[in-house]
Formats: sequence, C-alpha cells, structure tokens
Amino acid sequence: MSSSTEVIAPARRETAARRAPGGRRSAYARRRGRSGLAFVTPFMIVFMLFMIVPLIYAIYQSLYTTKLIGGTTFSGFANYSTVLRSGPFWGGVIRVIIFGGIQIPVMLAIAFFFATIFDLGVAKWGRIFRAIYFVPFAVPIVVSSLMWGFLFDPAYGPFNRFMNAIGFHNFNWLSTNLMVPAIIIIAIWEWTGYNSIILYTALKSVPRDVVEAAILDDTPLWKIILRIKLPLVRPAIILLVFINTIGAMQLFIEPTILNNYQAGVVTNTWTPVIDIYSTAISNGEYQLGAAMAVVLAVVIIAISVASLVFRNRRREFT
Amino acid sequence: MSAISLEKLTKVYSTGVRALDGLDLDVGDGEFVVLVGPSGCGKTTALRMVAGLETISGGTVRFGDRVVNDISPRQRDVAMVFQNYALYPHLSVAENIGFALTNKKIPSAERQRRVRLAAEILGLSDLLNRKPAHLSGGQRQRVAMGRAIVREPSVFLMDEPLSNLDAKLRVQMRSEVLRVHKAIGAATLYVTHDQVEAMTMGDRVAVLHGGVLQQYGTPRELYGRPANLFVAKFIGSPEMNLFEASVSGDELVLGSQRLTLGPAETVLAPYRGRKVIAGVRPEDLELGGGAGGAALGADVRVVEMLGSELHVFFAIDAPAAAASALAATAGEAEAGLLTGQTLGGVARLDPRSAVRSGQRVTFRVDPGRLHFFDPDTGAAVR
Amino acid sequence: MSAPALAPPAPPDQAQARAETRRERKRRERLEERDATIPVELYGLRQGTVTLLTACCVLFAAFTLVPIVWMIINSTKTQANIFSSFGFWFARPFEFFHTFANLFRDVDGDGTYARWFYNTVLYSVVSGVGATVLAALGGYGFARFEFRGARLLFAVVIAGLLVPITLVVVPLYLVYAKVHLINSIWGMIMPSMVTPINLYLMRTFVELSIPRELLDAARIDGASEARIFFRVALPLMVPGLMTVLLLSIAATWNNYILPLIIFSTNNLFPATVGMGLWLQHAGNSGDTNLFPLLVMGGLVTIIPMIALFAILQRYWRGGLLLGSAAN
Repeated sequence: MSSSTEVIAPARRETAARRAPGGRRSAYARRRGRSGLAFVTPFMIVFMLFMIVPLIYAIYQSLYTTKLIGGTTFSGFANYSTVLRSGPFWGGVIRVIIFGGIQIPVMLAIAFFFATIFDLGVAKWGRIFRAIYFVPFAVPIVVSSLMWGFLFDPAYGPFNRFMNAIGFHNFNWLSTNLMVPAIIIIAIWEWTGYNSIILYTALKSVPRDVVEAAILDDTPLWKIILRIKLPLVRPAIILLVFINTIGAMQLFIEPTILNNYQAGVVTNTWTPVIDIYSTAISNGEYQLGAAMAVVLAVVIIAISVASLVFRNRRREFT
Repeated sequence: MSAISLEKLTKVYSTGVRALDGLDLDVGDGEFVVLVGPSGCGKTTALRMVAGLETISGGTVRFGDRVVNDISPRQRDVAMVFQNYALYPHLSVAENIGFALTNKKIPSAERQRRVRLAAEILGLSDLLNRKPAHLSGGQRQRVAMGRAIVREPSVFLMDEPLSNLDAKLRVQMRSEVLRVHKAIGAATLYVTHDQVEAMTMGDRVAVLHGGVLQQYGTPRELYGRPANLFVAKFIGSPEMNLFEASVSGDELVLGSQRLTLGPAETVLAPYRGRKVIAGVRPEDLELGGGAGGAALGADVRVVEMLGSELHVFFAIDAPAAAASALAATAGEAEAGLLTGQTLGGVARLDPRSAVRSGQRVTFRVDPGRLHFFDPDTGAAVR
Repeated sequence: MSAPALAPPAPPDQAQARAETRRERKRRERLEERDATIPVELYGLRQGTVTLLTACCVLFAAFTLVPIVWMIINSTKTQANIFSSFGFWFARPFEFFHTFANLFRDVDGDGTYARWFYNTVLYSVVSGVGATVLAALGGYGFARFEFRGARLLFAVVIAGLLVPITLVVVPLYLVYAKVHLINSIWGMIMPSMVTPINLYLMRTFVELSIPRELLDAARIDGASEARIFFRVALPLMVPGLMTVLLLSIAATWNNYILPLIIFSTNNLFPATVGMGLWLQHAGNSGDTNLFPLLVMGGLVTIIPMIALFAILQRYWRGGLLLGSAAN
C-alpha cells in the first residue's frame, strides 16, 4: 500500500462518518444537498446528452436492420449474431490483443527503467531527459504516425535504407508481417515518456526513510528497486495497465495513416475500430457498426473487470 | 576509547545552509547519549552523518579508532530507528525484522531464531504475520526497534523514535527503549526535541542550537550548571527565571530591590557596576522572607494548581532579560521565544501554600542557587 | 475564523517567489532537489554504472528525438529532396519559407492548412475551457457535498471511464444525424467537454487540497455556497484546473476520429483530419507538392503543444501525480 492511498482513505471515511445518524436529514442538509446537485448538474447534463444518450441510442439501433427493400425492421440480436460470427472482426480483436500484449509490457518495462533512473538520480541531466521523453505526449498521433510513416517508407524511408545498408535487402517495415511491430515501435515512442513520468511521480512518493532503512540494512540496489519500490508503486502500474489496455484496444489512427505509405496491408477489418468505422460510416451499415461497437465495449470491460478480479485475488495472497 | 567520536563535524547544504557547525562529541561503549535541541538545530543532520546517510562537509566521524567518513552506510554496521519508523509497508512484521538478515545471507533457521528472539524481547510474538498497516503506533515503533536490534549492531541510532506516539505511550516507551538498550548494550545516539525525554533517558545529553553544540554533560550538570542562557532556558520546565540586574557592591540590584549576594559575590567581581543576567529556577524560590538568604518581593498574578505542585506566576519591577542579550547565544530567531515572559517569573511551590492572585509575597532565595550570565555573550559567569 | 477567511489565500511562498528572480528560484529548486535525493554512492553504484545508465538515457533520448529532428530538417526541403536526399541532413534548395507560405494557400483544392489550424485552436480552447469549468464545478460538488444519488451519478461517470471514447463516436454520429449536428462545430466541442477522467481528477484534487473545515468556516461566516466556491475553493484549485485544462486542450488538439466522422466539409476540419486528407491524396497522386506541406504542417501542429506543456509544467506535474495517487 503506498502512502498515496493512505492520503485518500481518510477522506472517504470522513464522508461515511458525516452521514446523519438514522439516515434522517435535516433541512440544512437538504439545502446543502441541493447546492451539491447544482454543482454537478452542468457536467451531468452534457455527460448524459453526449455520452449516455448516444450509447443507449446505439444499443437501440443495433437491434434493427435496414434493408434496401422493406425499410428498417426490428431484428433482435441478428446484428449481434453477425458480429459474433464474423471471422475478420475477431481477427482484428486478436490482432489488437497481441499488439497490446507486447506493446504494454515492453513499454512499461522501459518506462519503469527510466522512471527508476530519474528517481534514483543516477543519470546526469535527469531533468533534461525527463523533458525530452515527455515531448511525444504533445505530438498528435496523426502527426507522429505521419513522421514515422516517412521514416518507415518502403521506397525512401531512412530506416529501410539503413536495413538495406546492413545487409537486409528488400526490407520493408510496413509489410504485412512487420506492420504490427512497426506500430508497436510508434506506440512505444508515443507513450513511454508519459508512463515514465507517472511512474516517476509515484516512485518519488515512496518515503525516503524507507529507502534509507533499506540502505542501512545493506540491501542491494536491485532488491531496493524490485522488492521495495516496485511493490509500493503497484497501484500506479495497475492504473497504467488499464489506461494503456483501453487505448490499445482502440488502435485506429496509426494503421489508418500508415496505410497511405504502404497500401494493401491495413485492411478494412485490420483492427476492431477500423472495422467499425468502415462498416458504420464508409458502408453506411450503421446498425451493424453499432452492434460491433457494443461488442467491443463489452470485450474491453470484460478485460478490465477480469484484471480487477485477478488483482484482488492476488492481493489476498501477497 | 569511545565507541563513537565526532570531531569538528560540519554540514553545509548546497543551498549554503549551515546545518551543523564543528560538533565535537564522544559516546562511550554502551553509553546512551541524547542529542537535544529545537527543530532545525542540526541534531538530525548530525545523526544522519553518523549513519552515513548524509555526506560530511567537514570534520571526522570515528567508530572506535576507525575513521568512517568514507565508509558506506552499508558497511558501517549501524542500525537506525527512524522518526516515521520506515517500515516496509508490504512486508509482514517478521519479514520487516528479518529483512536485513536476508541481505546478509544468514541461513533461514538462524534468521527465524533471531527474529523470534527480537520479537520476544519486544513483545511482538503474536503479531509476526501482520502488516504494518494493521499495527498501532506503539507496535510499529517496536517493530522498528526489532528491525534494528536483530542485526546486533555496534552502533544504535534513533531519530525521534517516540515523537509520533501519544503522550501516555511515549512515557511508557521511554523505559522500554532503555530496557532494550541495556539488553543489547550497543552505544546509542538518540535524537529528540523533548528536553524531558533527554533528561530522563540520557547518560549524557548534548544540547544543540543553530548547528552549534551548547553544552555536553550529564542531565544533572545541564540542569545544575547550564553553560549559557540557551541551555538555562531550554532545560527545565517551567523555565528558569531570568532577570536583568546590576551589581553594586555585594548586592544585586533588581529594579528597586536589592539582594544580598553573600559568597556568590566573588564571581561577580568583574561585573561590579555593570549589568548581569541573573537566573533562578522556579523551585529555588521559597515562600517567606527573612531567615537566611535574600528576599525578593513579588506581586502574584496567576496561580496554577497542578495537584502535586503549585505554579505561581508573579511580577517584580526588574526588567526581564533583554532580548539582545539572549540573542547572543540563542540566535535571533529564538530571542522572541526566550523573552516570552516580561517583568515576571514563576515559582514552583508546595501545593499546600496559601497563595492567591493579587497577593504581595516575599520569596526567599539562596544566593548560592542563583545563576549568572554575561549579558553580551550569554555565557555563564562562574 | 472571521471575514479574512473569505479573501483568496495568498500563499506566503508566492510572495517570496516574486522577490527572487526566476533564475534564482530555478537554482534554489535544483539545489533543494539535489539535497532531497539520496546520494548515488549510497546505492553502492560504481561510476561506470552511472555512465552506462546515462548512456541508456542518451540512447532513448535519441530515439525520441529522431522523428522530430527528421521533421525539422525535412521542413526545409523540396518534395524531391525529401525522398532522394539523406533524411538526416539538409539539402538545397532551402524551401522552408516557401513551404511555410503555402500553408496559407489552398494548394490542391482540399483546403487551407491555416484554416484547419485555426479550427484546431478554436475547438481545443473552447472545449478545454468548457471541460475545465464543468470538471471544476462537478469535481467540487462530488467531493464536498452529499446528496441523494451522488454515489450513483459518480458511479455512472466512472463507468464511463471504461467506455472507449472512439466507441462513443459511432453512436454520436447516429444521434447527430437525427438532430442535425453533423457539420456543426458544437458537435465537435460538446463531447470533448465531458471526459470522465477530468471529473475524477478534479474530485480527487479537491479532496486532497480543500479541507472541509475551511468551507465550514466560510459557511459559519454566512457566505453563500456560490461565494464560497468562487472565493475560497477556486483559488485553491488552480493547479488542478491547470492540469485539466492542459490535458483537455491536448486531447482535443490530438483528436482525429471524432472530427473525421462528424465533419464532411473541408472548411471545418481540424489540422489532424486535414493532414490525413492531404496524405491520402499525396499517396494517390504523386505529382502535387503535398509532402513538404505535410512535414511543415506536422511541425506547426506540434510546436504550440510542446510550448504549452513546457511553459505550464510547474502546474501540471503535480496534477499528473493525481492520476497515480487516485488509484
């Protein structure tokens, strides 16, 4: 348990303690309640209108089918059964799971490595490196894909020229086999700095005296890092796994942009979101697209919940 | 030969702040030495330099006859109890206590034996599988000590280990700490800001202020013969009463009152015709004038009944010691604090004394119990 | 506590910060940071290891900077040189200003970069400010009030964290088609204002930084809830507000899929979608001079963001920590 969680816990307890005994509420409490409601209302209205209503509408739409002849009719779970039996859709889901399954651990390992270096202050010019690593976070994914597209370009890109120069002829970073690794490199470029800064701030909150106690106990550095610091920043790591997983499952921009450099590799069903986009927007089958969106949301929520359960299970034993 | 000796130990931070200035100190084998002073006086910095956690800007630290300045804290064989205990939050009590032993590659059986022994000494045997989050403050404190003693260190350092406990527990843990100290017998350096803790626990006590050592001696010495105004004010509660006075012949002039000095007169010879600061401990003021000693008239302002004793706050017409004089030793920041009482003092009397506020009383003072300080340097006049 | 409690608090260190120059403050902070870190020697590291780790940092920094350096260098080149000359060095002719000027012209009939850039700024700033206002009100309301349904409402918002944003886009498109918000800038701005994470960050920030006692003291002094919010709470929320503002602006600035779907008029595109369109056309017809424009456009898109993050880093660094503390 990190110190940060301890900071928050009292606030929660306080909330519970403030409830009026017996559940009855005074006129004053009611008036306060109304002010509270007034504060949250603007956010909730916009949130409902632009997030909840569209989601409900999409679920509603996904139960209908539009035919050229016969118009729109209620079709129950027909769209869902189409999605569930669609090989290409699940192919896309598996592709992004593989993508995330490699990219996230590799990136988090790199991010933790550098966060540790910054935290320990063992490299010179730490501040400058932290600033540099954070730069990609400010670069729109469209632009970073654009730049990496140029660098990976099969005909002219410097990276392929480099591979050619060291003996790999006809090397193509954007070929069918290497597209996923290429996007993993781009994603690592984009997100490592951000993850690293968050881990760095988490590591900074590990009390100094705990580390000093470990030093006086003659604990080797690797043990301080892996046995003391790592367990103490686990909440931050879990949060990052969540954020990155949700991001990885929505892979869309990088393959869409790279497709312009090497046509034919990224198909209409390459990732689930590309599939949804091309089905709902390009082909106009928006009811089917809505069903796909719902299925993907369920997959993401299932993965999140599963990891939550897994995490709670683990906690009992550690 | 001392177990720990510090020589001209100095710490200057890179921001230019001088935290410690030329500290000389020695701790004998098995001795319990307390470093005491207000916050920011450099006591923790000194302790951390002994541990090796803070780089040394000047001077030397010796363990025995070995200079350890350049020896890593890992090799110094010191154990330290931190103010916030610094327990590993994700490890159980047993794992916390045994952590250092795993680093030393001590076999599991031996490790468990030592952990159990330490737990027994500290009364933690039933808690070995708990996590620190599920322990009370006092229990955490014990675990922190257990982690230190299990290593059987040659030097034992404690940084305000009791300051996070409530008042009652703190008193109880004082004797606990001393008991553990007796049991392991290692030279101990103990840091606190609490003068009561310092007086009750230390074989010897070092008073630090503004990074400078004010006095080093037994609690009795510090209390009975404070070396300067700062120590005089810092040790003892209620504080020593300090008045600005002048010396005229064999009498001390306190405002409109004159006190006969008797044999104390000789030390004040150089101050004849000049100002001097006179101090008297609250318990050295006795009710009732006349017979023997000097008499001091006072107006009673407030009477506090503490049960076992009576604190009588009074006013006389002599000026309380001027801020400038106190500042000489105390440092400008503390001057205000030291002149908190003006034109008055406090006496500690028998609880049965019949004293009411508003009353005019006469205190009897044994001139031999008076303390004198130079108004310019703050040093004791002896 | 009496009336002064209502005055916006003036942190004493701020007055001190004004007294010392920027350079002095930086120096002091750097030195304090050095004093606050455990000296490297205590970890038992050899100098060689330190050098090796610094080398690792340099390598990753190079990896990070390669695409950006490439972009800077190639923003000075002609299309032919972008493809034929060595990517990491300059080549004649120097076309930087010529290309830059082209950003203000409609080169191939798709639209003008300057217009797209203007749209990006408009959408980002308006939705960023809106998101901050909503999150400040909502976060404060959830953190410091109890009312019927508060837990349920907050749970709904938190569940929204799990719903991928791109998945809301298709449903939004369906709704927009019904209510004629396709090709409306509000269709872009409004959804960008309600990111659940903002509310979550803000609530956590208020819980950690605004004591209940302070608000109660103001209430005892007879201040209205609105006045308490504006005069007591808001000044204390500034670092949190800055974080939310910055993250919201960045999110809209970088957004691609929402504008791609809801806008069909080139004039409404933000820079990201505009450049995507250019890239598509450049790939199809090799003869236009779009590649230098893409490189230059990319460069112009990222510079304001990097500058903003750099200038405001004192504010958002503390805020990012919330993300990890909040768990």
